[in-house]
Amino acid sequence: MVAVLLCAIVVPVVTGALLITGDRFSPAVGALTSWVVAVLGSVVTAACVVLAVWRRPELDHEWVPAIGMRLHLAVDGISAPLLLLTAALGVLVVLHARVEPPTRTGHGTYLGCLLLVTGGAIATFLARDAILFFLAFEIVLVPMWLLIKGFGDPKHRASASAKFVLYTVLGSTLMLVGILGTVYLAGTADIDGLVGGAGLSTTQQTVLAAILLIGLGIKVPLWPLHSWLPAAHTAAPTGGSVLLAGVLLKMGTYGIARLVVPVLPAGVERLAPVVGVLAAVGILWGGLVCLVERSLKRLIAWSSVAHMGFVVLGLMSGTRLGLQAALFGNIAHGIVSALLFFVVGGLKQRWGGDDLAVARASLRDTAPRLGFALVVGMAALLGLPGLAGFWGELLAVASVWNPDGSRPVLLFRVLALAAALGTVLAAGYALRVLRVVWAEGSPAEQAAAPGTPEAAQAPRPAPRPVDADGYEWAVVGVLVLGAVALGVLPTVLLDSTEPAVLHLLEVAAR
Amino acid sequence: MNVTLDYGVLAPVLIPALGAVLVLLVDAVLPRLGRWHWAIAAVLLIAGAAACVPAFLSGSDARRTLCLDATQCLYVADRPGSALQTATLVSAAVVALLVLPVRSPADRTPIASALVLTAASGGAGVAAARDLGSWLVLIELATIPTVALVAFRARRSAVDGALSLLTTSLVSFAVLALGAALWFAATGSALLDGDAVLAAAADPQAKRVLVLAVVLIVAGLGFKLSLVPFHAWTPEAYAGASVPIGAFLAVTSKFAALAALLVVLRGVTVLGAPALQAIAVVAAVSMTLGNVMALRESSALRLLAWSTVAQAGWVILPLATVARGAVRAATGYLLVYGLATIVAFAVVTLVAHAEGRGRVVGLSSYAGLFRRRPLAAVTLAVALLTLAGLPPSVVGLVAKVLALRPVAADGLWWLAIVAAVNAMLGLAVYLRWMLAMAGTPAPDTVDDRPHRLHLALVVLGLLALGVTSVAPQLLLGLAG
Repeated sequence: MVAVLLCAIVVPVVTGALLITGDRFSPAVGALTSWVVAVLGSVVTAACVVLAVWRRPELDHEWVPAIGMRLHLAVDGISAPLLLLTAALGVLVVLHARVEPPTRTGHGTYLGCLLLVTGGAIATFLARDAILFFLAFEIVLVPMWLLIKGFGDPKHRASASAKFVLYTVLGSTLMLVGILGTVYLAGTADIDGLVGGAGLSTTQQTVLAAILLIGLGIKVPLWPLHSWLPAAHTAAPTGGSVLLAGVLLKMGTYGIARLVVPVLPAGVERLAPVVGVLAAVGILWGGLVCLVERSLKRLIAWSSVAHMGFVVLGLMSGTRLGLQAALFGNIAHGIVSALLFFVVGGLKQRWGGDDLAVARASLRDTAPRLGFALVVGMAALLGLPGLAGFWGELLAVASVWNPDGSRPVLLFRVLALAAALGTVLAAGYALRVLRVVWAEGSPAEQAAAPGTPEAAQAPRPAPRPVDADGYEWAVVGVLVLGAVALGVLPTVLLDSTEPAVLHLLEVAAR
Repeated sequence: MNVTLDYGVLAPVLIPALGAVLVLLVDAVLPRLGRWHWAIAAVLLIAGAAACVPAFLSGSDARRTLCLDATQCLYVADRPGSALQTATLVSAAVVALLVLPVRSPADRTPIASALVLTAASGGAGVAAARDLGSWLVLIELATIPTVALVAFRARRSAVDGALSLLTTSLVSFAVLALGAALWFAATGSALLDGDAVLAAAADPQAKRVLVLAVVLIVAGLGFKLSLVPFHAWTPEAYAGASVPIGAFLAVTSKFAALAALLVVLRGVTVLGAPALQAIAVVAAVSMTLGNVMALRESSALRLLAWSTVAQAGWVILPLATVARGAVRAATGYLLVYGLATIVAFAVVTLVAHAEGRGRVVGLSSYAGLFRRRPLAAVTLAVALLTLAGLPPSVVGLVAKVLALRPVAADGLWWLAIVAAVNAMLGLAVYLRWMLAMAGTPAPDTVDDRPHRLHLALVVLGLLALGVTSVAPQLLLGLAG
C-alpha cells in the first residue's frame, strides 16, 4: 500500500518528464499520442490518490540526512479532500486539453507541465516533513512558469510569467527561512511533531510566524502581496489557470493550516489581528475591483483574492469552526474557480478576447450549456445557499464573529462585518457578469462583434463549436455537479475533516 | 625532531605535483605529443582524486601526517578537507578533458597542462595544510599558474584579464601575508590549530590582534573566492580566458580558496561576533551585487562570472554563524555549485568548440539552442536551475536549504531575508539565460557535430546532476 503514496507523486512527474522529452525529438511525438499518455498518467495518479486516501498508508524513510529531510508521506483528514481535489482537477485539465489544445506546437510540453504541476501539488499535500513540504512546494514553480510563459496570452505572458515566478520564489524562500528556524528551534522536522509550539517562546513564535505568513501570504495570495495573481491568470492558458486557482493557491492556505496555525499558536495569536485586517481588506479590495474590471478572466482572478481572504480570515479566528470553514472554503473555491476558469477560458477563446465592454450575443441564447455552467459558477461565487461557496463563507464569517477568547473580539466583529459586506460585493459583481454575458445582448449584436479591434488582434483560435460538447461539457458538467453536491451535502466534507481538526487543536492547546 | 611521513596520505598533493614535472619530462623526450599531454594530466588528476578515497571509507577519522608529536600535525585531511581535495582534483581533470580537443600551439600544451597540475596540487594541499608557511605557499601555488593559463589565449582581452588577475592576486597576497603575520603575532604559533586560537582569545590584547588577522585573511581570500569588494577581476578574467580555463577559475580555484578559508575559520568561532559579522556583511553584499550585475549582463561568460560572485556569497553564508555544521554546509554548497558550474561550462565549451567562440559569448546567440542541440540545452538548463536552486534539480534546492539552515538556526533574520531576496534575483538571472535558449535559431547557424569527448562529458554531467537530484546525500555526504 505504501507504493501508492510514491506512485501518486512519481507517476505524474515521470509521465510529465517523458511527455516533455517526447517533444524534443524530431519529429516530435504526435498530439494524440501525447494526450493519450497524459490521460493515462493522470488517471493512474488519481487512482493512486484515491487508494491512498482510502487506505491511509504512511511512508517514513531517510532521504537527505545532511539537511535533516526525511521522505515522510501520509494522508489525514486535512489533506485528504485537497488530494482528491488535486487529482480530480489533474484529470480534468488533461481531458480539457483535447478541446482546447495549446495555441502553438508543443502538445507534449503543455501536457507534461500540467502533469508536473499536479504531481508537485500532490507531493505538497502528502508531505509530512516540513523540509520535504518546501521541496514539494517548489516543484510546481518551473512547470507553471513554463505554462504561462510558453502557452499563455502573447500580449501579457512575458511580464506575467516573470512576476509569477519571482514573487513565488521570494515567498517560498521566506517560507523556507521560517521552516528552518522552526525546525531548528523545535529540534524536529516532522510536521506532526511540531504541532503545539514545541516549547518555543512567544517572541520566537511571533518572528517565525511573521516570516512564514509573509512567505505563504504571497502564495495565497494575501492582500497586499497579491499583484502577481491577476496578471498570471490573464496570461495563463485555461488549463494553467485552473490549476493555478484550484490547486496552487490552496497550497498557500494549506501551508498556513499545517505549519503556522497549529505549530506556532502563540505567534499566530499575536499576529491574527493584523493578518485578519489584511484578509478583510483583500475581501473588500477584490470585490470592489471586480465591480469595475472589464476583463472577464481577470475578474475571476480578483474574486479569488477576495475568496482566499475568507479562508485566511477563518484560519485567523483560532477556533475549530474557523479552521473547518477554511478547509471547506479551500475545497469549495477550488471547485468553483476551476469551473469558472474552464468556462471563461472557453469563452475567451471563442470570443477572441474577454473584454466585457464588447457587445456580444447573450450566452443563454447562443450557448445554453456554457451559460448554465456560468450561472452555477457565479451563483456559487456569490455564496448562494445550496451551492459550494455558501458554507465556506457562512462558517468563516460565523467563526470570526465569535473568535477564540484570546483574539480582540471587537476587532474581529468588525472584520466579520467587513467580510459580510464582501459577500454583498460578490453578489454585485456576479450578477453584473451574468447580466452582461448571460442575459443581455442579441444575435444581431454578435454580427458586430468580430469586427472589433480586440477580436482582430487576437490569434486565430482553432474553430470550436459554439457551445460546449464532448469532453468540454463533461469536464464542466462534473464540476457543476461537484459544486452542487458540496452545497447540498456539506456535512460529508465537514465530518471528514472534523476529527483531524479537533486532534490538531487539542494537541496545539496542550 | 622526528616528523612522521605517510606518502599515502600525501598522495593527493604529490601525484599532481610530480605529475607536472612528469609532463614536462615527457615533453622533453617526446616533443610531438601535443594534446595528449592533457590526457596524461587528466589521468594523473584522477589518480590523485582516487588517492583521497580512503578518507571517505575510514569513518570520521581525519587522515594526518607530517606529525611533530601525537597532537600537532602539519597535514590533516579531515572529511570536508578531503571532499574539497577530491573536488579540486576531479574538476581539474574535467577541465583538462575539456581542453583536450581544443586546437592550440603544440609548444604550449605541455606547459599549460603542467600549470593546471601545479594549481590543482596547490589547491589539494591547502585543504590539509595546518601551518602558516605551507598554507601561504600552497595558496599561491594554486593561484599564480591561473594567471598564465588566462594569458595563454593571447588575445587582447585575455591579457587584460590576466593582468587584472595578477594585480589583484599580488595585492591579496600582501594582505594575506600581513594577516598571517598578525596571526603569528597573536597566537605565537605558526600552526593553524584551535588550541593556539583559544589561548590567544583568552588574552584581550592578543584577541584584538587575532580578530584583525582573521579579517585580513578573509579579505585576502575574498579575492580568490571573488567576494565583493575583491571581485573586480572576475568578469575580466572569465571573458578573457578560453572557456575551459574559465571553468578552472570558476570551479577548481574556488574549491582551493574555500579550502584555505576553512582551514583558518575552523578555529575562529571562539572569537565570536566581530569576525563573523564581517563575513555576514561580505556574504550579503556579494550575493546582491553579483546578482544585480548578472541581471544587466549580456555576455554569457560575464554572466557566469557575476553568478560566481553571487554564489560565493552563498558559499560563505553559513560561515557567518556559530551553528554546528557550518563548515559542512559551506563545503556541501560549494560542491553542488562546483558540479553545476562545471556542467554549465562543459556545455558552453561544447557549443564553442562546435560553432566557434563567437556563438557562446552573447546571450542572444543562444537563441534556439533547445531546437538546435536539445541535449546540450537541457543539460545547461538543469545546471542553471541547480544554481538557482529549483526543482527539477533537487540537489540545487537541497544546497540552498543547506546554506540557509545555519543562518535560520542562529536567528540571523536580516541575513536570511537578504538571502531570500537573492534567491529571487538569482532565479531571474538564470531564467534570463534559459529564455535566451528558447525561440528559433538564427538562420546562419553553423551546425557542426560536437566533439565526442565534449558530448560524453556533457552527458556525464547531466547524469551526475540527475543522480544527485535523486540522492543528494551522495554528494553532500562527502562533506561529512
